[in-house]
Amino acid sequence: MIAETHISENRDDKRTLVVVFLRGAADGLTLVAPLGDDNYHRFRPRLAVKRDDAVKLDGFFGLHANLRALEPAWKDGDLCIVHGAGGESDTRSHFEAQELMEHGGPNSGGWLGRFLRARNPSPNPLSAVALAPTLPEMLSGAPAAAAFESFDDFALGGFSGGKRLPPAFSLHLRRLYELETDALRDAARDTFDALARIGAIDSHAVPDNGASYDERDSFAHGLRQVAQLIKADVGLDAASVDLGGWDSHFTQKTLIEPLMLRLSRGLAAFRQDLGARMATTTVVVMTEFGRRVAENSAFGTDHGRGSAMFVLGGGVKGGRVLSQMSDLAISKWPGLTPELLDGPGDLPVWNNYRDILAPVLTRHGANADALGKIFPDFSLKPLPLFA
Amino acid sequence: MKKTSRREFVAAGAGAIALSAAIFKSTQGWLTTVGQYAGYGVERTLHEPMTPPAGAEIDPVSHALNRLTFGPGPGDHARVSAMGVKAFIEEQLAPDAIGDSLCDRATARFGDLWNEPLGEQYDAEPEALPPILRQVTLLRAIYSERQLFEVMCEFWSDHFNIDPTKGDCRWTKPTDDAQVIRTHALGSFREMLRASALSPAMLWYLDGRANVKRKPEEKPNENYARELMELHTLGVHGGYTQQDVMEVARCLTGWTIRARKDDGYAGTLLSPLTDHAAVFFRPDAHDNGAKRVLGHEIPAGLGEKDLDRVIEIVTSHPSTAHFVAHKLCARFIADEPPQSAVDAVASAFSTSKGEIRTMLRALFALPEFAASRGAKFKRPFHFVVSALRATNASTTADRPVFTYLERMGHMPFRWPTPDGYPAAAAHWRATLLWRWNFALALANDRIGGTSIRRAQLQARIGSDTGLMATLLGRQPRAEESDAWLKIGDGLALLLASPAFQRC
Repeated sequence: MIAETHISENRDDKRTLVVVFLRGAADGLTLVAPLGDDNYHRFRPRLAVKRDDAVKLDGFFGLHANLRALEPAWKDGDLCIVHGAGGESDTRSHFEAQELMEHGGPNSGGWLGRFLRARNPSPNPLSAVALAPTLPEMLSGAPAAAAFESFDDFALGGFSGGKRLPPAFSLHLRRLYELETDALRDAARDTFDALARIGAIDSHAVPDNGASYDERDSFAHGLRQVAQLIKADVGLDAASVDLGGWDSHFTQKTLIEPLMLRLSRGLAAFRQDLGARMATTTVVVMTEFGRRVAENSAFGTDHGRGSAMFVLGGGVKGGRVLSQMSDLAISKWPGLTPELLDGPGDLPVWNNYRDILAPVLTRHGANADALGKIFPDFSLKPLPLFA
Repeated sequence: MKKTSRREFVAAGAGAIALSAAIFKSTQGWLTTVGQYAGYGVERTLHEPMTPPAGAEIDPVSHALNRLTFGPGPGDHARVSAMGVKAFIEEQLAPDAIGDSLCDRATARFGDLWNEPLGEQYDAEPEALPPILRQVTLLRAIYSERQLFEVMCEFWSDHFNIDPTKGDCRWTKPTDDAQVIRTHALGSFREMLRASALSPAMLWYLDGRANVKRKPEEKPNENYARELMELHTLGVHGGYTQQDVMEVARCLTGWTIRARKDDGYAGTLLSPLTDHAAVFFRPDAHDNGAKRVLGHEIPAGLGEKDLDRVIEIVTSHPSTAHFVAHKLCARFIADEPPQSAVDAVASAFSTSKGEIRTMLRALFALPEFAASRGAKFKRPFHFVVSALRATNASTTADRPVFTYLERMGHMPFRWPTPDGYPAAAAHWRATLLWRWNFALALANDRIGGTSIRRAQLQARIGSDTGLMATLLGRQPRAEESDAWLKIGDGLALLLASPAFQRC
């Protein structure tokens, strides 16, 4: 029989991957504006990020002012941005595009699920979590993945009315499992261990390093719980947190400006809270596709192709915006000329999301063989995101 | 009873789902709910005698019930003891002769959806059918008297796994379930394989519909051909080569289905409204040259008959007998079954040309089967159904039950890859917490749409010890009854205990 491992033993490598999915197709050209491209301002007379308002990154690109909270990560070299990021499909349907991106192509099952299976086929009860009511597609096929919106669910009697938990239930249950002699006893120990670690988390504890999460923001609350799980060493390999509402056909600013604040402040608080633990944590921010370059008549933008992805964390070769790449080395923004644009006038996809995820998964323990299985039928050209 | 028309049904079914979702949302935190479901759930009728198992260990009767069914209910041990294990196995191998009125009643509100013309399934909303299929499957597992048949349907659903979230499978999987899995679950493996090869859902799921050769430079799509050998027949080390995969793919070129939109594979849509998903052979998209598959020559010009040759060649291959036998033994004996058992069942496959009944009869007679009592770890679906059966629960099998299966990663028909849900325990051990919470919720009547009649159950069985023995399939051990007594009511504890995780 194959030896089973415990949480307490198998955490020689404590790396955690956090995937933030911006559902609804976030406008990469507002998140990370090509300020130095005059055509950008021509295409977006009312919606372009103004040069004076932006958080200057490198003399050409600027973050929207509502992403200012990410500036320290950029300056510290922990944040790399990939522009013109997206999938190869031109579906422009949210549902199809999200599914394709979460499945890693027209496969069934999620890329994160396949990664987790390759990483640890016999995992502990908290190796993957989604801070959501149900598991997202990217986690489908994961060997153990728990979806919950709050720690309260992850408790003995939690989720099912723990108020009627008979006294001594836990004690006797534990005793019965301790009488076993095989992997089932070990699995029970792992579970009680995870319960103890979660139970020891004071969900109201003040975050570390002076970090501050917005109490009323579910996204920030999700990140806060992920940070607490990481700090409690529950054995978390991957976490998924969604931020939805980016479908800005109409009055884009009023829709996405508050979202950008939530995104940046949540991530900044997370990074500050984790402190040194960020060295073994990677956050990927992705969205199903970007939006049309030209604004529409309703102060909005329509479905497009390329958007921006963020990679934040330890080992990231940050402080860079990668756009159109040559030889995976030199990045150049080609300028938004009409002939460059894709289909009805969209930012092209220069960087396939798999080529951004692949180096991240490599850092988190996937070898070349595993990558081939995680992203089948695709010729990977991983971007150089890590130092 | 009035036969519900398909249209009424799909509308009602979707409505019921929306309703249960709404109820579920409003009741998180368990402020309510059972009353709202009263009247819908059914319950098995308890027959006397209900003598509980008397052995200190799991006896052959409990063992047969543990493995051939989704778990014994009250009275099952007495019934099988009276008829004998052999007769029980024979009874279960002939499901058509078993009356199943309770199960029919439990699933009646879903009508006869699966037998409607396939094209008409497309009238349903994209997300309507898979949840109904799941619900009917769960109800059958709980209430059908044809338990071995349902166990085998689960087995083959994994073997020929199709994830309904891919493409048109959301409309075509229910028909695959009826016409491939349930039609052949205890019949001929060879026939089931052929039915699966021509199932619209399988043609979608593994891209067979896109396996066409219309021009000399066109390359066949190998996806199905590979899985046909790797997962459905020979097994990954079964002795086929990449060349064989390519040759099988060539043999199967031209079998396709009418799609909603002609994306180039289906040719002209003859009657797009009623012919959705109709399977047909396109001679113009078939590679009609000579092929060589696993050492067998297939002459040029056979056209659609290539398929029959391929089915014949792969099912006659000794690796297939071995692969299917190993999988059956892993399901019914142990994750790593003894080689002697696999050989015996493989031999039954070969001599019977893949008759599933013959293989099962051989398997259940093996000493290795008898020796494996109580040692298998239940998968979550088995655990949940066995708990509902053991407590004689009444349930509508609505969303609240599935929430637990979702948390345990074992929603029926939700496994994404063609290999089906894993059989081995290692994959499932991290689900203990949700099993324990399910046990607590069930014992305390806190699952919406589900209820147990605790007092009546105990009164009918007679004693604490009797109820414990009914749940465990044997007399409780000292520490089990000790814990039961100390807690006051140990029903949840026993359902959560290590013994109840096994079968």
